[in-house]
Order: sequence, then structure tokens, then C-alpha cells
Amino acid sequence: MNLISGIDITASALNAQKTRLDIIAQNIANAQTTRTPSGGPYKRQLISFQTELLRQTGDGQPALSGVQISSITSDPTPGERIYNPQHPDADSQGIVTMPNVNLAYEMVDLITATRAYEANLSVAKNGREMADRTLRIGQ
Amino acid sequence: MSPVSAVSSPLASLYARIAGTNKAPPVLPDSLKVGAPTAAPTGEGFAKVFDQLVGSVETKQAQANAVTRNVLVDGQGQLHQSVIAMQEASVAFSMMVEVRNKLVESYQELMRMPV
Repeated sequence: MNLISGIDITASALNAQKTRLDIIAQNIANAQTTRTPSGGPYKRQLISFQTELLRQTGDGQPALSGVQISSITSDPTPGERIYNPQHPDADSQGIVTMPNVNLAYEMVDLITATRAYEANLSVAKNGREMADRTLRIGQ
Repeated sequence: MSPVSAVSSPLASLYARIAGTNKAPPVLPDSLKVGAPTAAPTGEGFAKVFDQLVGSVETKQAQANAVTRNVLVDGQGQLHQSVIAMQEASVAFSMMVEVRNKLVESYQELMRMPV
């Protein structure tokens, strides 16, 4: 029984955008992290999405696709190198390689992810209102 | 063989069909006969359907409860999944109430009918 139309698709999009927000939070939190378990400074993580076949609407009709995370990859851009001999992670010349996180980019990504999440929330809200109004046909 | 069958073959087959010589005459099913005693199965059938509806509403509410509990107590699951499950349960409940309203309304309409 699927009463609210498209709710499963919206749910997959909300899930994807929430993970994107988590990744952005991780990037911002680690903007000054110079040491990681894999060695070297933190690498900015990038998320990408792909469609996910959710259900077939019927014979000969288009299939409905939700969204899922296809990959989370590291940004290969080299990080900023600053001279700071006091830093414990400085090399023999006193140079520290900082993470390649650019806060301005991350803030823009944050706003985009928030707006995308809000857009999907209004889809969910409108789907519910459509179902409510349909139930009030006879009144 | 009736005497009219010799007139022409199409007419003959028509008469034959009317006379019911080719196959048994169609019998009206008991359920469609006017004035025939209708047995309880239709009533039972609807009760069963409504029972299933109530059951599925209950399942949805239990699911919403479980997901919300997961989010609040166990710290697992997603907030939006919990809210969506609750909204689905709410819409399903509204639909059940709507079906019940319609049922009671038709019963009252029937009771108001002058005999």
C-alpha cells in the first residue's frame, strides 16, 4: 500500500543529501587536520550520486529511479604548503602540507546541500497534502 | 429436428440456438437473480477486506513506532525515515477512518429509507 506518492524516491534523495551534508561536515571539521591514519594531511572528500531503480510503474511505462551514493572519493588537488617549523608535522625544511579543504567551497556546497534537502522535504510535504486532499474528496 | 429448420441454414441455426438445441441455455447465476435469497458471503467478504485494511494500518503504525524508536532510543536510522513512516501511518489511518465514515453513512442512509 503506497499512499503517499513518490515518498520512497524522496526518501532516497533525503538520505543522499544527508550523507552529502555529513561529508561536508567532515571536510569542514578536518580543514586543519595534518595527520591521518593513512599518512599525510586530510584529503577533501567528494561525493557523487547515481540513479537507483526503485520500482517499475507498469508494463511499457518508465521505471522510477531514486538516487543513491555512487562513490566518495578524495580530491587530488595538492594542499597548501606553509612554512611552520614549530609544527609537529613539518618536514625537514619546516614546510607543513595543509589539507586541500577550501572553506569557501565547502560553505557553497553546504548551502547547495541544504537547499536540495529542503526541496526534497517540500516534495514529501506536498505528497502528503495530495493524499490528504484526495481523502477529503467526499466531504 | 423442428420443421422450421428446413427453411434456410442461417435461420435454422438461429432457431436452433434459440431452442437451445446446440448447448444448454445460459443460466443466471443465483447471485444475480432478483429476489433470490442472497447469502451472507458478501457481508463476510467485506468484513474480511475491512479487517485486512485495519491490519495494514496497524502494521504501518507498528513500523513507524519501530523506526522512531530506532532513531530515539537506539540512535540508529534516519530522522526523515521516522517522520515519513509516521506520516504514512497517519495517512493510512485517515483513509481507514474515511472508509468507516462512508460505511456508517450508507448504513444511516439505508435506515432513513421510508418503507
